[in-house]
Amino acid sequence: MGRLRAKPDKCTGCNLCLLACSFNFTGEFTPHLALMRVERRRDGLLFQPITCEQCENAFCLKVCPSKAISREEILKIDANNCTGCGLCAEYCPWKVIILREGTAYKCELCQGQPECVKVCPAGALELEVV
Amino acid sequence: MGYGYMGQLLWIDLSSGTVEKEELKETLTDKFLGGKGLGAKLLWDQVPPGTDPYDENNLLMFLSGPLTGTLAPSMRGCVVTKSPLTGIFADSYFGGSLAPEIKYAGYDGIVIKGKAPEPVYLLVEGERVEIRPAKHLWGLDTFKTSWTLKQEIGEGKDPKIACIGPAGENLVRFALISCEYNRHAGRCGCGAVMGSKNLKAIAVIGERGVQVKDKAAFIEAVNRARHELRESPYIEAFRIDGTPGSIPFADAEGLLPVFNYRQGTFHGSRKIDNEAQRERLWLKDTACFSCPVACSKVGVIRRGKHRGTIVDVVEYESAALMGANLGLDNLEEVAYLVYLCDALGLDSMSTGGVLGYFLETVERGLIPASSSQWGFGKPEGIEELIKQIAYRSSEIGNILAEGVKRAAGAIGQGSEKWAVHVKGLETPAWGPRGAPGMGLAYMTGDRGGCHQRAFPILYEVGGERWRGRKFSRLEIEGKAELVVYLQNYLAGLDTLVKCDFAAYGITADTYASLVRAATGKDITAADLELIGERIWNLTRLFNCREGIERDQDSLPARFQEEPLPDGPAAGHFISPSDCDKMLDEYYQLRGWDARGRPFASTLERLGLS
Repeated sequence: MGRLRAKPDKCTGCNLCLLACSFNFTGEFTPHLALMRVERRRDGLLFQPITCEQCENAFCLKVCPSKAISREEILKIDANNCTGCGLCAEYCPWKVIILREGTAYKCELCQGQPECVKVCPAGALELEVV
Repeated sequence: MGYGYMGQLLWIDLSSGTVEKEELKETLTDKFLGGKGLGAKLLWDQVPPGTDPYDENNLLMFLSGPLTGTLAPSMRGCVVTKSPLTGIFADSYFGGSLAPEIKYAGYDGIVIKGKAPEPVYLLVEGERVEIRPAKHLWGLDTFKTSWTLKQEIGEGKDPKIACIGPAGENLVRFALISCEYNRHAGRCGCGAVMGSKNLKAIAVIGERGVQVKDKAAFIEAVNRARHELRESPYIEAFRIDGTPGSIPFADAEGLLPVFNYRQGTFHGSRKIDNEAQRERLWLKDTACFSCPVACSKVGVIRRGKHRGTIVDVVEYESAALMGANLGLDNLEEVAYLVYLCDALGLDSMSTGGVLGYFLETVERGLIPASSSQWGFGKPEGIEELIKQIAYRSSEIGNILAEGVKRAAGAIGQGSEKWAVHVKGLETPAWGPRGAPGMGLAYMTGDRGGCHQRAFPILYEVGGERWRGRKFSRLEIEGKAELVVYLQNYLAGLDTLVKCDFAAYGITADTYASLVRAATGKDITAADLELIGERIWNLTRLFNCREGIERDQDSLPARFQEEPLPDGPAAGHFISPSDCDKMLDEYYQLRGWDARGRPFASTLERLGLS
């Protein structure tokens, strides 16, 4: 299915992606639960959206003790098998896996129509087909 | 409650160190909706008449609205307090990311009273609230304060900061509050109130969510708002050129403040406008939280002695008041001076007004121990004066730190004639002599001389129609009706809390749809106007209680007596009889008596009895 590609040179730091992502995922506007982050450099000249890389060498998949994470085109978490131990979130190099109510969640690209890409007014996010 | 709102206000008493969480009552939000309205009501109820703004009984409030922190485009927060600059109601709005974070922390607003015995900062981490020592932060500029606190509060957390600079600490009456990031509650001296409470900063961390009642309807309204923003030529202009895109317009129309408002056009306007800034400063667009417009720009000074300073867009108001009004046409110098104001915590608008007055007074030979550095167009002298104001480090700095009204009172010798303010608030960068409706908006603005409570210039000069009506530029009659409407409508939106610029694109019906879907309350566009009118009357009641009457609904002598020398409206001014005509019409439409006090029947109609 691909992966998200961020263009920090275009990102305005509006955080609409975090609002759309968290709303899609929790039904509330709560940016700290978004399955991505936007880092602001100290001088304000750069905003870096950080999204799931769908890593080839995926730490989340390797550390999961209950085999809840699998790769089917992209990396997915099976909520039925997830024990909520939090190891995947802890070892995700990008810190974009979220624990909520005892289950881990990661970006699964909204069935190929990512909300963050749709809401971005600056063209700073796109779905890259690999 | 629970939809749109978080349902509680956080009350902090810095005198006793107590923290209370108080339920936000539905009866209150039904009547006043949010930001501006809640602030006006709390100020009216809680701050006794005649309270000195620096007294511990004054309240300093950081308030959000029911749409803040959601996907609704471009929502902000506001500070409400009693102003030390004007002595009346003050509301000052800020973008950035602080207001949403207050909601994520679980509050619709933070209300601060009392006065800490020593410098403190406030840490609000959800339910956990701490008043912490801030001696180590005292004296730091706004940028360093914000960065130091972020480091101190620790890894993995990203607190959103509001803080004051040295100007707020030193009770400069036009000190600002810097809200993350470099967005300001700039006007009316809110930063001095914060300084008087010994409160250096507020750091907020929140992890709760904002819920909306009808999710599908809300997203539909958001999409409509986004569509309206995309279709609006005004928004397109804000996106491309930011607010300095107004400089060529204001210059061509003779509306710029130049050499302390003596002129309306500026020989150097093209050197500080949007095109100059794009070429010499900007690197990219930046946006406040939740805003798809991104009218702000960030860049770097690349030449001259300030090379390497990272600066924001030099906004229209700052470019005009620190540039044109002080005769400065060197963009790098103007950008640096505005940056210096931001860092020291001074409102660059008021600073430009105060310095314009002072440089004219120097030019007229009324300052005995004058420096050769003090003059229009001389950046070094202006930079020194800005520092002397922020630190109150010289006799002149100390006088100017009181604002233009008090400074002119202290310097005297007839200089009140060119002290340009309304009710003590230095006026914005739109000279009104060629736009009398704008003059009326200044005369009647609830926080003093302000362009954000109504901006009739759009209709008088910009050619925009209101309800199908076209307005003739210099006409006096009929302007009051426009001003009343704009004040009511915009006060309604200031409760949401809207952004002034996005409101050029988003329609009243769409704002109402957003509120309806978010809160589940049956709010229409007409209701927003009515709520705005209610708030406008409440702020008027507050101001009347503080001694405001007709005689202070007035314009500076410069606008009433001196003909504008240049531009398409040359020769024009707003005479005292013009002022009277507009005021009579305005009071009548408002349902106020001839002295400008609301009739009992008006208050009853608005549910304010």
